[in-house]
Amino acid sequence: MTALAHIGSTGAGAQTPGGPAPEPTKKGGITAYLLLLPGVLWLLVFFVAPMAQLAAVSLQSQFPGYPGYYYRDVNFGSYVTAMTEYLPQFGRSLLFAGSATLLAFVLAYPLAYAMAFKAGKWRGLMMICVIAPFFTSFILRTIAWRQILADEGPVVGALKWLHVMPSSGRITETGFAVVAGLTYNFLPFMVLPIYASLERADPKIIEAGGDLYANGLTTFRRVTLPMSMPGVLAGTLLTFIPAAGDYVNAELLGSDSTKMVGNVIESQFFKVLGGFPVAAALSFTLMAVILALVFVYVRRYGTEELL
Amino acid sequence: MGIFSKSSGAFRDAKGDLILENVTKSFATFTAVDDLSLTVPRGSFFALLGPSGCGKTTTLRMVAGLEQPTAGRIKIGSTDLTGSRPYERPVNTVFQSYALFPHLTVRDNVAFGPKRRGSADPVGEANTTLELVQLSHLADRKPTQLSGGQQQRVAVARALVNHPEVLLLDEPLGALDLKLRREMQVELKRIQMEVGLTFVHVTHDQEEAMTMADTVAVMNLGKIEQMGAPEVLYDLPRTKFVANFLGQSNMLHGTVQGIDGDFTVIGAGDHKVKVRTSRMAPGEGGEAIFGIRPEKTRVHDEAPSATLAGASLGPGTLLDVSFTGVATQYLVDVPGVGRWAVYEQNLDLDRISNKPGDQVWISWNPGHAFGVRS
Repeated sequence: MTALAHIGSTGAGAQTPGGPAPEPTKKGGITAYLLLLPGVLWLLVFFVAPMAQLAAVSLQSQFPGYPGYYYRDVNFGSYVTAMTEYLPQFGRSLLFAGSATLLAFVLAYPLAYAMAFKAGKWRGLMMICVIAPFFTSFILRTIAWRQILADEGPVVGALKWLHVMPSSGRITETGFAVVAGLTYNFLPFMVLPIYASLERADPKIIEAGGDLYANGLTTFRRVTLPMSMPGVLAGTLLTFIPAAGDYVNAELLGSDSTKMVGNVIESQFFKVLGGFPVAAALSFTLMAVILALVFVYVRRYGTEELL
Repeated sequence: MGIFSKSSGAFRDAKGDLILENVTKSFATFTAVDDLSLTVPRGSFFALLGPSGCGKTTTLRMVAGLEQPTAGRIKIGSTDLTGSRPYERPVNTVFQSYALFPHLTVRDNVAFGPKRRGSADPVGEANTTLELVQLSHLADRKPTQLSGGQQQRVAVARALVNHPEVLLLDEPLGALDLKLRREMQVELKRIQMEVGLTFVHVTHDQEEAMTMADTVAVMNLGKIEQMGAPEVLYDLPRTKFVANFLGQSNMLHGTVQGIDGDFTVIGAGDHKVKVRTSRMAPGEGGEAIFGIRPEKTRVHDEAPSATLAGASLGPGTLLDVSFTGVATQYLVDVPGVGRWAVYEQNLDLDRISNKPGDQVWISWNPGHAFGVRS
């Protein structure tokens, strides 16, 4: 690298004798590009190429009479199928992911606030409690929730005993269970960015709110919350985006009537003969919808830091 | 202050002097402020001066309402503010780190207070105050886009716009470089004269305190050591701490050996020096410390005449001579006394003849000496 940079700089010097000014830029430029190279290659091989492949698959047409056989084409029929036949799953994905994001925010903000300002010596322990679940597979943890929320399990039993829930009621195989599972699984992704943004804030700034005639609640609304918006924004994106594409929670905690778009893509890919183009079209449509939502959201609530 | 702390009372529109009565603040392991009583007259520029950890910032935070005293009362005029919350007090703070709201523009930062108090025209008030600190042209910027000095002015404007009865300044110039600090000192003094509010300024910079304040209180270990006009404090320190913290002092530790007319004689070994009895800190006999400011002393090549007995020391060895332009500083080691500094202003064109190693004597006008108790 040093040798390359050196050659680069001598070359520049030779081209512009007596003009040493461009030398540092040239040198810096080459080094910067070399440093970028591994990342660019990685993205090309593992992101750009598969995306191109996926795009090609989504536009393929089926050989009439030969299920499972396709030819290269520019056919948007799969997109039409994706957006007409699977509209309920799309809606459900956005609804479930949105609800889980909202729930996670409501749960995470007080937790992050307590960790940042009130925990004192317990802060480390609280941090471990937030991160510890990652040491177990996320599928295992979701299966565990199926046991906990099972019809004969402790939660349903207690709720029925308290008459909070009718004797025929259940939690698993409902939308509620799926949203609860999504909330649980993505909660740390909400807590950590909010915590980071609160922890970084100068406590004196919050004191300044009180000093300038804002009571506790107003200081929170006008100072603390806006200051933590970068964290809230990051947390909601980190929760909503993967939750909208998730299929494990709906698979393990839901039923046929709670299927999300992720489940459709999964079954189109693995269980339906000739489902590849539709699955690919669904994937692209989901990406486009999420990108559009995120764009609007970030434009509305974002700070300069993110745009 | 928690999120859900309830608004326990209304805004208290107090007017008058700031009064602290026997205020004590104890934390788990130490007492930050120890039975402090003082009165800051309305409209004055008051400085709390002391080393870090002396309790000056804690005192300020108690006036702001950001801390509550363990004991004692804090009043403005006849209104007792003890126990009230920061937002209920007619007091505003300029924080050390400025604590500007990063998500708001300069104008919105300044308009924050007026908005909370339900002003009819918060933006107009903000604009007027930004003019006072000469920042109108930057009103639409975010605080992070400003220099340190500009941020400092915004912090001052954000507090001033509320016309508080007392404005608290917590080492507001600490983060600025020397030149900017001098400019801001003059600027703050100008603003204080213009608006006529009570300013309470916390600082560890003695020069800053003396330049700006009408009254300086020197704090140490949670107590006020001495309080008064800067020139009075400098001329006649009443404790050893003040003599050393406010400027520099040459000292002689000794015992009171008697009275000679208007003077008290302090002796240590062979040395005898005298202090006007009226310039001795109150106290009985025993041990005492003689003090004289370096710029009030002179060096001589020869032993001074007998008329200067009690107002001279020597012989000593000249350790160092440094020429600083307007003055020459000498460092003299006097056996049995220690190292004394002498600052002589270069008022005439005499060349410096003394060299390190020379034998010299030091003399002074006995009326300038002071005595403190050890």
